[in-house]
Amino acid sequence: MFKRLLSLPMAVIAFTCLYPLFFTLNNALKTNKEYILDRFGLVSSPTFENFVQAWTRSRLSEYFLNSVTATVGACLLLILLSSMAGFALAILRFPLRRLVFIAILASLMIPVQVVLVPFYKTIIAFGLLNTRLGLILSYTAFFLPFSIYLMTSFYAGLPRELTEAARIDGCSYPQIWWHVIFPLGKPAMITLGILNALYCWNDVLISLLVLQNERTLMVGIAALRGEYTTNVPLLCAGIVLAALPIVALYLIFQRQIVNGIATGAVKG
Amino acid sequence: MESRTAWAFLAPSLVLIALFRIAPLIWGAQLSLTDARGITPGDYVGLANYRELASDPAFQDSMSNTILLIATLPVWVCFPLLLAILIHQGVPGGRFYRATYFLPAILSSVIVGSIFNTLLRRDGAVNALLKLAGIAPVDWLGSSSTALISLIVVQLWATFGMSLLIFLAGLSTVPQDMIEAATLDGAKLRHMIWHIIIPTLRPIIEFVAVVTTIGILTSMFGLIYVLTAGGPGTSTTLPEFLIWLELGKLNRPGYAAAISMVLFALMAGLAWAQIRIMQRNADV
Amino acid sequence: MKYLLGTALALMTSAAMAQELTVWDWKSGDPAAASYIEAAKTAFEAAHPGVTVNFVMQPNDQYYTLLGTALSSGAGPDVFLMNGGAQAKARFDALTDLSAEAKGLAGLAEFSDGATVHALPITIQGFVVYYNKTLYADAGLDPEKPPTTWEELKAACEAIKAKGSAPCFAMGNKEGYGAEFFVSALAASMLTAEEQAAFAEGKLAWSSPKMKAILQAFVDTQTWGWYGEGANSTAKFMDEYEMFMRGEGANTIGLLSDVAHWKQFGEMMGPETIGAFRHPAPDAVTLAADGGPMLPLAGGIGYGVNKAGAHVDLATDLVKTLADAGPIAVFTKDAGILPANPAVDTSGLSSPTLTTILPWTLGAAPMAHANASAAELEALHQQSQLLLNGETTVDAAAAALDEVQAKAH
Repeated sequence: MFKRLLSLPMAVIAFTCLYPLFFTLNNALKTNKEYILDRFGLVSSPTFENFVQAWTRSRLSEYFLNSVTATVGACLLLILLSSMAGFALAILRFPLRRLVFIAILASLMIPVQVVLVPFYKTIIAFGLLNTRLGLILSYTAFFLPFSIYLMTSFYAGLPRELTEAARIDGCSYPQIWWHVIFPLGKPAMITLGILNALYCWNDVLISLLVLQNERTLMVGIAALRGEYTTNVPLLCAGIVLAALPIVALYLIFQRQIVNGIATGAVKG
Repeated sequence: MESRTAWAFLAPSLVLIALFRIAPLIWGAQLSLTDARGITPGDYVGLANYRELASDPAFQDSMSNTILLIATLPVWVCFPLLLAILIHQGVPGGRFYRATYFLPAILSSVIVGSIFNTLLRRDGAVNALLKLAGIAPVDWLGSSSTALISLIVVQLWATFGMSLLIFLAGLSTVPQDMIEAATLDGAKLRHMIWHIIIPTLRPIIEFVAVVTTIGILTSMFGLIYVLTAGGPGTSTTLPEFLIWLELGKLNRPGYAAAISMVLFALMAGLAWAQIRIMQRNADV
Repeated sequence: MKYLLGTALALMTSAAMAQELTVWDWKSGDPAAASYIEAAKTAFEAAHPGVTVNFVMQPNDQYYTLLGTALSSGAGPDVFLMNGGAQAKARFDALTDLSAEAKGLAGLAEFSDGATVHALPITIQGFVVYYNKTLYADAGLDPEKPPTTWEELKAACEAIKAKGSAPCFAMGNKEGYGAEFFVSALAASMLTAEEQAAFAEGKLAWSSPKMKAILQAFVDTQTWGWYGEGANSTAKFMDEYEMFMRGEGANTIGLLSDVAHWKQFGEMMGPETIGAFRHPAPDAVTLAADGGPMLPLAGGIGYGVNKAGAHVDLATDLVKTLADAGPIAVFTKDAGILPANPAVDTSGLSSPTLTTILPWTLGAAPMAHANASAAELEALHQQSQLLLNGETTVDAAAAALDEVQAKAH
């Protein structure tokens, strides 16, 4: 009875989440004129012209590789660095631990707009302007506070017996991190991977500043919006193309989150 | 030994954060004390920008909007938490929900904006539904009394999937054997949420609360831009939108920096309060 | 130290890419502008062998934020595009003097600081009322005789309202542009040339009788039911114009160049359905040569040269090419713009509506809002929405605008 009661609102929410997907796909197949005249109607004569346009006009094919490089590079670096830092902050005890944690937390709260100019100057000063490495490092720096905080929170929820047992077995701290903590962080790391991939992939502002000659996919999509008009069907087509990798990533990895550590390590 | 390892593990992160985040913050604080306009660096003016803020009606309105926004915070945390628990407890169709709830988070704010623009118009679908129920139409995005709430609901809908995902990851640390006994029985479920899940999940809930606070104060620009452009009047002008306005259109980096500093202080204060509250509750 | 580093880097980069010019805009990716950009690039590169021009299109919403960031980091583009009026004026300190290159161009006022021209205008922008002839005929009005006075416009709106199939004006004021356009359209006929100049200098207060009369007219037209419900949640670009194109509004205040103009409306609704007239005003004091209302006109968009750039001379040549009759003729044909360069032949633009409009552009009035400061415009956006919602009075709104005006000048 209780289950049935819950199913209705949950299904309604699921429907509202699916609808935009339908809206986007449906309108991506319309011409701009058809969209203006009827936004919600089912497409009458589907055209793939928008996909072709989006792919060629906004040079998405060229930008795709830039986005993949920056996103993959930054995500791997973020997972590695935040797992290390999370281990230090949540498990190890050292002087100034709280202060470091607070500093990281504070850096999470800096509004991005205000750091644009100094950030841009830093990028220029290190010769990172218009390099993919520059973009990877920028993404890493921007999303690192969030990642460290999440890893720290996650590790703080783990039973302390795990590390203590390993310590008694004679493991060094780096060994504990590599053999116990790093693998245990899998559900959080997958979550982080998905979220950071989403942030990096969808970022416009940072990549606009760092990569000016070549661009990333989302900048190409953002540029599809004109000064006055937005050709919504074209934009929809661009977004379908750009969102596919993220949707795929999510669908593949989301199972892992729930099945993560609950089965093996904790009990053992 | 322990502390040396800790510093070594933290070093690369700290260098990046100091270089790209902390240093710019200090620079921004300096900028906020100047009257910089356009590319002219500007002279030191002390706290003049902050004094101007105190008498700027747009800023005052943005602050009262912010207070209203923050008041909705519990919903932003509890709603995804509850859904995550239900999915984790194996509500029928849970896998399907898990897959679909994240979808809005993937879409760009332009698409979300375009959809809700049309749904919430005065002659839009939402009002058509209300009409069936005999309720008079409301100009959701065009009246000062409803615009901010409409914006908040749309943003909540567009981002709850991320918090849900984080909660699901957190739930994987809750020992499975404690949960197995509990079924989807209303009373038992409530007991389990209070006595097992929430205490174990405390750091994650704290994390989501802090990150959500930051999120609603710094990443609603896309939706504001498309849905209301800060209006009507200043009823959906949030500090973040004001920063964009001052920095871009009005070309006053010094003043924009001052607003940013206030926003930073506000977020830091809130985060500190949240962590304190969570820790006190945990001790009880 | 910072400056030293910056200078050293500027030198290094200039040596490394001595022959590349960078242009920032928000237009070059637009299909309607593509051939124009290509034509200008080809012409310039042919005249300057070894130099390449790199057009970087920035998203419109972040354009001025990015531009400000780049300019104040000393790493801005060599050439950049800007909107005439407040946005151009706010960046004069970063621009070179292009007075020598500007001879003969129209629409210079919006890009000039007194006698000094800081950017070369590309397009001319102006406001006319476009109307739907079918809806006029349905309401029993003569579709070939659009209103020429305020009384006639009031009568026309009454007739359209009585018919009840669509509001008199499609109105979008979500970003406050509805009010902005309305103010300029009325000010064109209601202010004298001296008053326009005083307004531009911030000396004609919003609480002066003339300006208050304009705000009052905005409120009155709303009270009379000229606009549909929900104007504050309707975006002028493009919700309002889409409504007009769907026939959900008999009139709309549209543009002369780019979009929402004779070309777009003609293509979407059929050229025979569309007509244009100049917005009449109550108590008009300035009249056009034919006795009708004045058309507000201004420089639209223009290119300027970054004075901190490494190749100012080359960049100046590039801007000249971008404003040159040859490439502009391509833009004129593709996008349907009114060129700021009078040497461009516009006879190829065949649109009955444009034929009606063109004579009005001679001896037109300034575009009042383009001369207001950016801060005043933001305040106008906010106050106009409150006025439409009935949440403030004309007096209170004028007082609030006065305060911003006084601070901005």
